[in-house]
Amino acid sequence: MSCNRRDFMKLSAAGAAAATLGVDLFAGDLPEIGKETKWHKSVCRFCGVGCGVMLGVRNGKPVGIKGDSKNTINRGLLCVKGFYLNKVIGAKNRLLKPLVRVDGKLVETGWDEAMTLVASKFKELIETHGPDSVAFYGSGQGETEETYVANKLFKGHIGTNNLEGNPRLCMASAVGGYLTTFGADEPVGSYDDLDHADMFLLVGSNTAEAHPVLFDRLVDRKKKNPAVKLVSIDPRKTPTNRILDKHLQVFPGYDLAVMNAIAHVLVKEKMIDEKFISESVNFSNGKEAISFDDYKAFLEKYTPEYAAKQSGVTAEEIVDVARMYGKTERVVTMWTMGVNQRVSGVWLNNLIHNLHLLTGKLGKPGMDSLSLTGQPNACGGVREGGGLCHLLPGHRAVKKEAHRKEIAKIWNVPVEKIQPKPGKHTVAMFEALNSGDIKALYVMCTNPAQSLPNLSKYLPGMEKAFLVVAEAFHPTETSKMADVVLPAAFWGEKEGVYGCTERRSQHMPKVLEPAGEAKWDADILIDLAKRLGFEKNFDHFKKPEDIWNEYLLCTKGKDLDLTGATYDRLKKVRGLRWPVPSVDHPGTVHRFVEGDPLFPKDKAAGRRMYFYGKPDGKAVIFARPDKGPEEPVDKDYPFALMTGRVLEHWHTSTMTGQVPQLVRAVPKPYIEIHPDDAKAMGIKDKEMVKVTTRRGELTMEARLIDRPLPKTVFIPWHWAESLSNVLTTDAVDPGSKEPEYKICAAKLAKA
Amino acid sequence: MLKWILWIPALLVVSTMMGLPVGANSGDEHPDEDFSVSCRECHSVETPEVAKAWTEGMHGLVNVGCFICHGDGQEEFFVSPPSDLCMGCHSSYEVKFEKSDISSCFTCHNGHSLKFHE
Repeated sequence: MSCNRRDFMKLSAAGAAAATLGVDLFAGDLPEIGKETKWHKSVCRFCGVGCGVMLGVRNGKPVGIKGDSKNTINRGLLCVKGFYLNKVIGAKNRLLKPLVRVDGKLVETGWDEAMTLVASKFKELIETHGPDSVAFYGSGQGETEETYVANKLFKGHIGTNNLEGNPRLCMASAVGGYLTTFGADEPVGSYDDLDHADMFLLVGSNTAEAHPVLFDRLVDRKKKNPAVKLVSIDPRKTPTNRILDKHLQVFPGYDLAVMNAIAHVLVKEKMIDEKFISESVNFSNGKEAISFDDYKAFLEKYTPEYAAKQSGVTAEEIVDVARMYGKTERVVTMWTMGVNQRVSGVWLNNLIHNLHLLTGKLGKPGMDSLSLTGQPNACGGVREGGGLCHLLPGHRAVKKEAHRKEIAKIWNVPVEKIQPKPGKHTVAMFEALNSGDIKALYVMCTNPAQSLPNLSKYLPGMEKAFLVVAEAFHPTETSKMADVVLPAAFWGEKEGVYGCTERRSQHMPKVLEPAGEAKWDADILIDLAKRLGFEKNFDHFKKPEDIWNEYLLCTKGKDLDLTGATYDRLKKVRGLRWPVPSVDHPGTVHRFVEGDPLFPKDKAAGRRMYFYGKPDGKAVIFARPDKGPEEPVDKDYPFALMTGRVLEHWHTSTMTGQVPQLVRAVPKPYIEIHPDDAKAMGIKDKEMVKVTTRRGELTMEARLIDRPLPKTVFIPWHWAESLSNVLTTDAVDPGSKEPEYKICAAKLAKA
Repeated sequence: MLKWILWIPALLVVSTMMGLPVGANSGDEHPDEDFSVSCRECHSVETPEVAKAWTEGMHGLVNVGCFICHGDGQEEFFVSPPSDLCMGCHSSYEVKFEKSDISSCFTCHNGHSLKFHE
């Protein structure tokens, strides 16, 4: 075939013309979806929005995917990643057999040989060096059942709290914010509030690309109600800007002052809810309780002019946003990694909550302080399931004796088996691999050799340790380094539960046989538990429902009570939002108010909201001073480097990198540079640029675009061939231990 | 409108020259271009009207890219996408669509702006 580009473009235009006219010139073959295809209700595998999807299966093969129109989260819509989910199941990089490293090379082996090696190595290390010489690193993409089994094995039987999950790298600051402010993790409201809000404040969130179906809902709300206002506080222009009324484009890392300045204006101009504050709010400086007057005195410094000087936006813009916030009755704030992946992530979460507490815009339709989640089961499996080093299942903490006793009883182990001291958080865990304190690591469903910050520092430790990787795909940057790679069943090939952003747990059926010899992650862990001698307490796990039912015991009577979310029920409904304490309970739209089954009317004594996670039922407004990034720009590294996402890829591209259409959409790594900076440096569009930070350097294509501010640059982090994390800093928030992926200092040069 | 109508014979001629089987999507072939450039980037230069219509339409607003309907251009390519692809996101219209005697979503909707035909 020969045809030049111009001819082809004309052809395309003609196709478009034909379509315009309704002439079906190419009424062609459709994908293999016909009447024999059976559609199964499930949940999307990608981000934390929790979209319902229908997986089409025909003759045992995945043949199609469509949005679940009965699911109230997405109402049938899909984003461009979810659209191809069925294609990921059969991706070319699916791992079909166990691999072990022999003479430096990974070779195929049988399950028994691989598991014998894993168990013997773990056993030997535990006996020789103690239980803290081994560790587990899991994922917000694992099912709740899988994380539960890992937790039970490592914390309750091996006896180490060295169990972490990648939500430490994305949601830990949000957890810290909710716990310190409200005394309980996860949002007060739900997505229902999106249909009632008259103002949306987006902070550090490129909603259009990171949470596209929620963006669809914002678009829908705005189209139907043009008076609805959307405001963003974000250092970069993004596709989200298409629907914004106002964008405060702050210099990266200086938004804390802006949040305090908005509070300053709300208080000065008396746009606050005095009754709500007196009934339901305490004040703190982080060390001790303070009075409202003390807080007002603290805010004195944060004039709009001060915040303007810090952040680079104007004082007038800050005042406008504050007045819009104060005068609009129903406001929802949403944020994600631009807030969480910061050394001041917890503080910034507190400052967002402060605005809602000052104004009482909480606990009613259209009012919420709603953290957006990045992974499909970060909330369900890891936050609720206790998949971090300081947690136990059911929002419990290892350091609390009563919590250890409750879980030890369910796990049928002596309470002494569960250590009272938290294990190593993610960055410390990988540091311990470097030092040799941790000698073996079991990685499940995640890719730390690409996703850790300051990556070059941590690769030697992973190389040195005995590394087991349970993963559906190979090679990944992590599986390439492994001593043993175990083929895991993928989405659709296993049954389980995912819990999304809005406290909603949803069931996923097994409708396909696992590819090759792949096995369900929970089965692999149960096999390991048995080989380590813990058969007695794992033998009753015959099917996913058995694990879920045991987990439900951990939630009974807790703030996340899921007792009413049985498999039978979850299979029929489009998820249930906890607390859902009985099988006849419909789930909870707003917490801490009447209608929440845990709302203590007697204690509340007429108060509209009672934050029962706090001893006196009062949430806390924190006086948190502004704090810049860990690594500000200077004369040697004059650019603030931000990392983030594009719509068409997800995380380390293990999945999206296998879908030709998504690869085609954003084919290669690039760096966004403001045209003014590029001009000053003589860099042209698409020229290669060397980006250097104090930790590493990369060379990639320049994209000249005015999305980032001058003296700031942006790199999407998805490509294995260009590991953006060799550049990022591993400085962490002191409270949440979440790294500051979002900001570091860099310099640029023409390559 | 006249301008668009004139494109149809052009399409038939060009597709015949290209050896493309008219009436079979599986036979559609995209020219061998530099596939390290994204669809949107190239088409915003080469077919600016189409790119503009898409950008200003709902799919442009919510970033449902060219590849969703037309494929990646290499492993999958539809010059004129089948309506089944639309049903991936718009399954709530499925029953209504199947019961109607309309053969394609594009009978009523412009493929890029998504507006109803005038």
